[in-house]
Amino acid sequence: MSDFSLSVREEGDLVIIETSGYLNNVGGEKVSEACYEKMDGGKKYFLLNLENSKVVNSIGVSILIEIIEKLQDVDGKLGYYNCAPIVEKTFNIMGLTKYSTVYNSEAEGVAGMA
Amino acid sequence: MVEVSALDQLDYYLASLDELGEILIDADQSASVSKGVLRLALGTIMASKGAIFLYNHDSDQLSVLASQGLKKQDPFSSPKKLLNQSGKYKNTHLALDKNQPWITGELKKCTLELGTKILVPLFHKDRLLGLLCVGKKFMGEDYTGAEIKILEIVANHLTKALYNYELIRNVDEKGKQLNLKLLELETLFDISVAISSVLDVDELGEEILWRSVGILNASKGMMLMPKENSPILEPNSSFNWENTDVLISKKLTVFKKIDDTKSGIILTPEDTNSLQKKLGEDHVVIAPIQAKDNILGYMILCSKETRHGVEAFTQTDLDLLSALCNQGAVALDNARLFKDITEAKQFNESILGSIATGVITLDPLGEIDSINQAGMKILKMNEDEIIGNHYMYLLEKDMEIISLIQMTEMENTTHSEINMPFLTASKEAVVNVSVAPRIDPSGNIHGLVIAIEDITDVSKVKNTFKRYVSKQVVDELLDDDAKLNLGGEEREVTILFSDIRGFTSMSEKMSPEDVVSTLNEYFSDMIDIVFKYNGTLDKIIGDELMIVYGAPISAKDDTQRAVSTAVEMQKQITRLNKERIKRKDMPISAGIGINRGIVVSGNIGSRDMMDYTVIGDTVNLGARLCSAAGPGEILVSPSVWKETQKHCSYKKLEPIKVKGKKKKVDIYRITQDD
Repeated sequence: MSDFSLSVREEGDLVIIETSGYLNNVGGEKVSEACYEKMDGGKKYFLLNLENSKVVNSIGVSILIEIIEKLQDVDGKLGYYNCAPIVEKTFNIMGLTKYSTVYNSEAEGVAGMA
Repeated sequence: MVEVSALDQLDYYLASLDELGEILIDADQSASVSKGVLRLALGTIMASKGAIFLYNHDSDQLSVLASQGLKKQDPFSSPKKLLNQSGKYKNTHLALDKNQPWITGELKKCTLELGTKILVPLFHKDRLLGLLCVGKKFMGEDYTGAEIKILEIVANHLTKALYNYELIRNVDEKGKQLNLKLLELETLFDISVAISSVLDVDELGEEILWRSVGILNASKGMMLMPKENSPILEPNSSFNWENTDVLISKKLTVFKKIDDTKSGIILTPEDTNSLQKKLGEDHVVIAPIQAKDNILGYMILCSKETRHGVEAFTQTDLDLLSALCNQGAVALDNARLFKDITEAKQFNESILGSIATGVITLDPLGEIDSINQAGMKILKMNEDEIIGNHYMYLLEKDMEIISLIQMTEMENTTHSEINMPFLTASKEAVVNVSVAPRIDPSGNIHGLVIAIEDITDVSKVKNTFKRYVSKQVVDELLDDDAKLNLGGEEREVTILFSDIRGFTSMSEKMSPEDVVSTLNEYFSDMIDIVFKYNGTLDKIIGDELMIVYGAPISAKDDTQRAVSTAVEMQKQITRLNKERIKRKDMPISAGIGINRGIVVSGNIGSRDMMDYTVIGDTVNLGARLCSAAGPGEILVSPSVWKETQKHCSYKKLEPIKVKGKKKKVDIYRITQDD
């Protein structure tokens, strides 16, 4: 596994970002850039598909926290789905799940973010 | 100019203090409270410029928390004497009318830019938290004592607020560090769980690598394992690495050092290790993956990430990585052991599967826990019908085998039996059975092993052949099937024909039952003699016997045995007749002819009905000699006479005309054997 890539699509008001690769400094920055660009366009609900990001480090988590803080300023939300157990555990321990939600599937995420 | 009364001034100050209370209650961050406090302080004492600086004890830097009239916003190094000199002004202020030589560098620039008149060090007890700088008063007036006092009161409240925020920040920071420690512990726990759950070496290696990279904030990682019989270290797994084709030798000094010290290494840009060059990485941490003293491989992580770039790995990082690798080594060792055991089991199973003997193992309770392919074939059952059943249930039709198993159970010694019927498989099945205790490497008995050899086919051959040849010949054939050539071939044999003289006319005077019993009595005695001399019973045609010596197995004394057979047959007929006379049965007599020569032997017949026999002129002459022999006579051809004359007495008779032969054939009659 190397390199980080992502794809962005919109489902109504919701922005779904599918990541692939290590969610670290590089990966986190790319996610935040994508989120901020969409936030500038008025979007405030974001769902991350982390199926192909099996590893996340604390730098990646801190970037996600920054995104959550910015979203809170505009009453927005961040959610995740298809998380590997270790990723979900990291989110729990680092306190991310107090301010954002882990969903089991895209459908559950779309419903939860509505 | 409007005069302001002292009362108005007091009201104004009280209103400011009231607003200060609001600011301190409402603000939720040190930056926002500082902005509010600065605005309030400057407004209260009628100053236009000022700033609040926060002092960082770790970095010895000052950073701008709030400012008015100051361009500089980046953190900067504090003056060397800041702590020492500012300590003199705890709970008071410093008037900057005169140059203060200890205020240097960037702080001096800031104070000049702000036109600072008053500097209030913000001390909580002995700890410097920051500085409050206030520029000149509006219209350049001097600050009154009341204004300075109110400034000190504001500064005091600001100090308390900053201290509280520092406490909160510290708690947050400690909380974050605790979370990271918790994550480290969880990771170690997960890997310890993986020890008992993941048994695939590659999968486990990848799991440990991924966890290590994530928990240590590394940008990439690789697990290297030694290649067998080679100094090359091969990537067992890699993460976030574009090119893993780098040739890494175990002979690199860094690995030698790790092997010698049995501990990991941190490499920084100051090091000039060849491994760093090969990897193209400055920041590297390497830990050995070692089970006991055996190094199974190496974990390499590169470039520890921070929010603003890359930094060196610390000893704490190495300690954590070593702990992860130690845990992983146990897991990898277990996985390797499991793999070895699985391969050994598969190897054993493939051996068991390939042998023709059925092997059944019983657990200590007598239940069948394994059976090989041959076993299932012999039992004519599939695995589901066998495994888990008690042997008493499975072999209930074969009490002899059950007895054998029970004897082994009681005596813990091997018991064997051959040629046992095996009704569990079929009525015809015949097996050799051996039952032995199953002994583990510690010498403890754990159930039994039953070996079943299916000899049904061999038994059938024996039963079939023993109708034609003696048991000795059958055993000889089965022991060395190279001797057995049932295909067509030319070979030299000796043929014996015997025929009861006048049996047709005799049988006309007898009842059918007497005919059959007479023939059975006669053939029974004759065939015993034939088998005694290892002759092959080729045919019984009516009252005639055709015996072959030298097919399917040849021997040097084939002819002598044929002659001996004939002599004993005549003697036995004499004895038999005595009994028959006693029983008032009609006596019988037989003529015997013997010839030796080349025949064609083999299985002759149709697909459904095939017999091993011999054909040719030699056979025909043997039959002619038998026909020519009178009652009690044995006639032989010259070839037989030639081979046996030293041991037998012969009388040469007149040559006889034989059908199919132009010339008359010499014949000899046995007069006396040796």
